[in-house]
Amino acid sequence: MAQPKTAVVRSDLDIVIARTMARDLAKAMSFGAIDQARIATAVSELARNVFLYAGTGKVTVREIDKSGRKGIEIVCEDQGPGIPDVDLVMQDGYSTSRGMGMGLPGARRLMDEFELKSQEGVGTKITCRKWKSS
Amino acid sequence: MDSLRIPILKIGDILIASIQVSLHDASAVQFKDDLLQKIYDTRARGVIIDLTALDVVDSFIGRLIADIAAMAGLMGTRVVLTGLQPAVAITLVELGLELPRVLTALNLEKGLSMMQRLTEESDDGPA
Repeated sequence: MAQPKTAVVRSDLDIVIARTMARDLAKAMSFGAIDQARIATAVSELARNVFLYAGTGKVTVREIDKSGRKGIEIVCEDQGPGIPDVDLVMQDGYSTSRGMGMGLPGARRLMDEFELKSQEGVGTKITCRKWKSS
Repeated sequence: MDSLRIPILKIGDILIASIQVSLHDASAVQFKDDLLQKIYDTRARGVIIDLTALDVVDSFIGRLIADIAAMAGLMGTRVVLTGLQPAVAITLVELGLELPRVLTALNLEKGLSMMQRLTEESDDGPA
C-alpha cells in the first residue's frame, strides 16, 4: 500500500497541488474517471476552506482497506478559528466569505463518508472517504 | 508568483479562450479581468470558453465562469461554454452548481455554430 501523502495549504496554488496529489493517488488506485474527478473536486473544496478560513493547514491522502474493500481517505486539518456552528456550515448556501456556501456540503455529497470535528479557537479536522465499487 | 495568463484569440467578432491548465484562484480571477477588458477593447459580440482540457472544475471556478457569463451579458456579449468532460459535468451538478443561465455546447465546433446563430439572430432583431 502506498505511503500517505501530505500537502501543506498556504496559498491558492497549494489548493491545486493538494487536489492533484489526491487525483494522482485515486488514479494509481484505479478509481474510475468520474470518481477521480469527485475526489479531486472534494479536496479542492476542503483545501480552499482551509486557505480562506484558517490561512494554513494540511491535507493528507492515503489508501485504506476495510475487510478487503479499498478506499481513499482524505484528512484535512487546520489550527484556524474553528467552526462555531457545524450544522450551519453544512447547509447548502451558507457562506461567510468569498465562498459560495457549497464547499463543505458539496464535498460531502462527492464523497461516501464525511466527518467534521471542530473546536472554536483550536481548529478543524475533516475526514472523508470514498470506497471503490468492487 | 505572477498569475498565469490564458490566451484569448479573436476570430472575426468572436473571442475564443481555451483553458488548458488547472487554474489556481488568482489566475482564474486574472482571466475574468482580461476577458472582460478584451470584450470591451475588441467590441466582441460573442465569447467561447473551451474547457475540454479541464478535468476538475470546483465551486470557485464554476462560480467564476457563471460570473463571467453574467458580466459579459451585461456588456451585450454572449458566452458559450464548450467541451465539459462528463466527469466535470457530473461533479458540478453533484456540487450543486448547475450553471442554469450559461449557454453550453458539446465541443468548440458546435459552440462556434451556436455562436453564429446567436449573433445572426441579434442582427435581425430591432436596433
